[in-house]
Amino acid sequence: MKAYERREFLRTCGQVIAGGTILTLFELSLRKAMAKGATYFWQIDPTKCTFCGRCETDCVLPMSAVKAVHSVKICGFCDLCGGYYRPNVKELNTAAENLMCPTGAISRRFVEEPYFEYSIDEDLCNGCGKCAKGCNSFGNGALYLQIKQNLCKNCNECEIAKVCPADAIRRVPIAKAYNLKL
Amino acid sequence: MNLINHIKIIVQTTNRFPKPDFESGYDYPERHYFVPNEAFWSYIDIAMLVLLMSFVAWAVIRKQVRWPVILTSIISVAYFGFFRHGCVCSIGAVQNVALALASDSYTIPLFVLLMFILPIIFTLFFGRVFCAGVCPFGALQELVNIKNYKLSKTVTTILSIFPWIYLGFAVLFAVTNSRFIICRFDPFVGIFRLGGELPLILFGVVLLIISVFTGRPFCRFICPYGAILSLFSRVSFSRVKITKKGCINCQLCHNACPVDAIRAPYENKVKENRSAGVNRILRYIIFLPLMMIAGATTMYLLSDNFSKVNKEVQLYDKVSENEIRPQEIQSLELQAFYGQGRTVEELKTQVAAIKKDFRIYSGIIGAFFGLVIALTLISLSTKRTRKLYEIDGADCVGCGRCFSYCPQNQIERG
Repeated sequence: MKAYERREFLRTCGQVIAGGTILTLFELSLRKAMAKGATYFWQIDPTKCTFCGRCETDCVLPMSAVKAVHSVKICGFCDLCGGYYRPNVKELNTAAENLMCPTGAISRRFVEEPYFEYSIDEDLCNGCGKCAKGCNSFGNGALYLQIKQNLCKNCNECEIAKVCPADAIRRVPIAKAYNLKL
Repeated sequence: MNLINHIKIIVQTTNRFPKPDFESGYDYPERHYFVPNEAFWSYIDIAMLVLLMSFVAWAVIRKQVRWPVILTSIISVAYFGFFRHGCVCSIGAVQNVALALASDSYTIPLFVLLMFILPIIFTLFFGRVFCAGVCPFGALQELVNIKNYKLSKTVTTILSIFPWIYLGFAVLFAVTNSRFIICRFDPFVGIFRLGGELPLILFGVVLLIISVFTGRPFCRFICPYGAILSLFSRVSFSRVKITKKGCINCQLCHNACPVDAIRAPYENKVKENRSAGVNRILRYIIFLPLMMIAGATTMYLLSDNFSKVNKEVQLYDKVSENEIRPQEIQSLELQAFYGQGRTVEELKTQVAAIKKDFRIYSGIIGAFFGLVIALTLISLSTKRTRKLYEIDGADCVGCGRCFSYCPQNQIERG
């Protein structure tokens, strides 16, 4: 009976310690949790992005959740688009060797002389960022990369954030789920 | 150098081409970007977690039936696993909590905190009901487990240290904001997402194949969260009871247990006299701090190697190498570093702070490793008399396989 009582006593001590630990842990981290803007999505900061192309290869999804987006409001509607054509193309036609996008995700529509409207097919875009690099080098930067929140699994740790050379991928609040240029 | 120039150009001239004046009355198309209602699903997750854990607790503590555990396992694998793709899970949340406690800049979402703390609270009250079938990893292994080959005690004991080591490193890399290694080397998330890195998926498949033949290898020998829960489960208020009637020492439950949590009766024949016992305790008291100091020193000395996991430290190594011998073709990291106009001095002070953190935390975690190993060794040499088959609260995951094996339960049900 004596041994039993000792074990019971130890167990009660353990329960008190365990309960205390839970309460302290909860108290301490709750203070951190109550800070503002605690719900987060991963998103790319287009001003930091260097279009290195790792978004295409390092996302855990078979097809990256990163897609090129196009801000029409700052687009120049150029005929010779740095994101649409490769540099130094001889002829401005839609032959594959002239086009920048490796998957043919960018299409354009003639608006009026000399303007073209560009749009991106999200299903084809693989997030390689070649068009964004071209547009930012030679154009207004209307094409840039963003993480599509409907595709992103919101991993606890974003793989592309860990390999991003410019540290451009950070958590953002729900209200700012996209870092759109305009 | 080419890229550096063109990054500067972006900042300077974002509007190389003026906005076109359309004469044909062109309307700018509206673009909409989908934002999921994440808050909604996190409420559902928490509700499911509490509901399923209560269901399992009711089944294994009040009713001694196993079917709710199987049902919960199926629901959990389907919902937490294949539907919610297993992120954020309670196992990974350990790192978020560790980071939140260590860093001021990190805000932990309340939802993640609840994912972490709720299973612990339930464990303190009812034992490891979370592991039983609510955790999709445990559930997946539970569902495929058919055979129950026992591993020898030596193998089990040695492998059981690994979760603590894993936990230590996970916390070390989390508090220094380097990596979430639990998420990085998650063997089952690839299976739930039907895609991912091949080595990890293979690792997951191998674990599943092993768990066909012996119970829950991941839970027993890898899971760091299971290690935390085992501490709380050890002292839980109520725990799994195989039968409401008395044990008849038939050994059937012992053979049925997939995680070796049922301890056989043991008679401690070695009656040591009082002074020998006191001496033994004294030796333990000296041995324990020695192990802790040894662990702390080892980890402290190795901390520089661990710090290489941190991204900033890696960058600093690359930058300082480049400063000494400028490279012809610069890596993407170097291009971005110089492109953003950061200075080497700034980076140096940052890295020094990170390395200091690594030294302090490595020391603490090393002491913890020493403690774990020492306690494991001490527990091996401590004998305790048991008259009946007893469930070890720390190891029992509440799967409920033992219930139907107990003849006392069979009599009751007819």
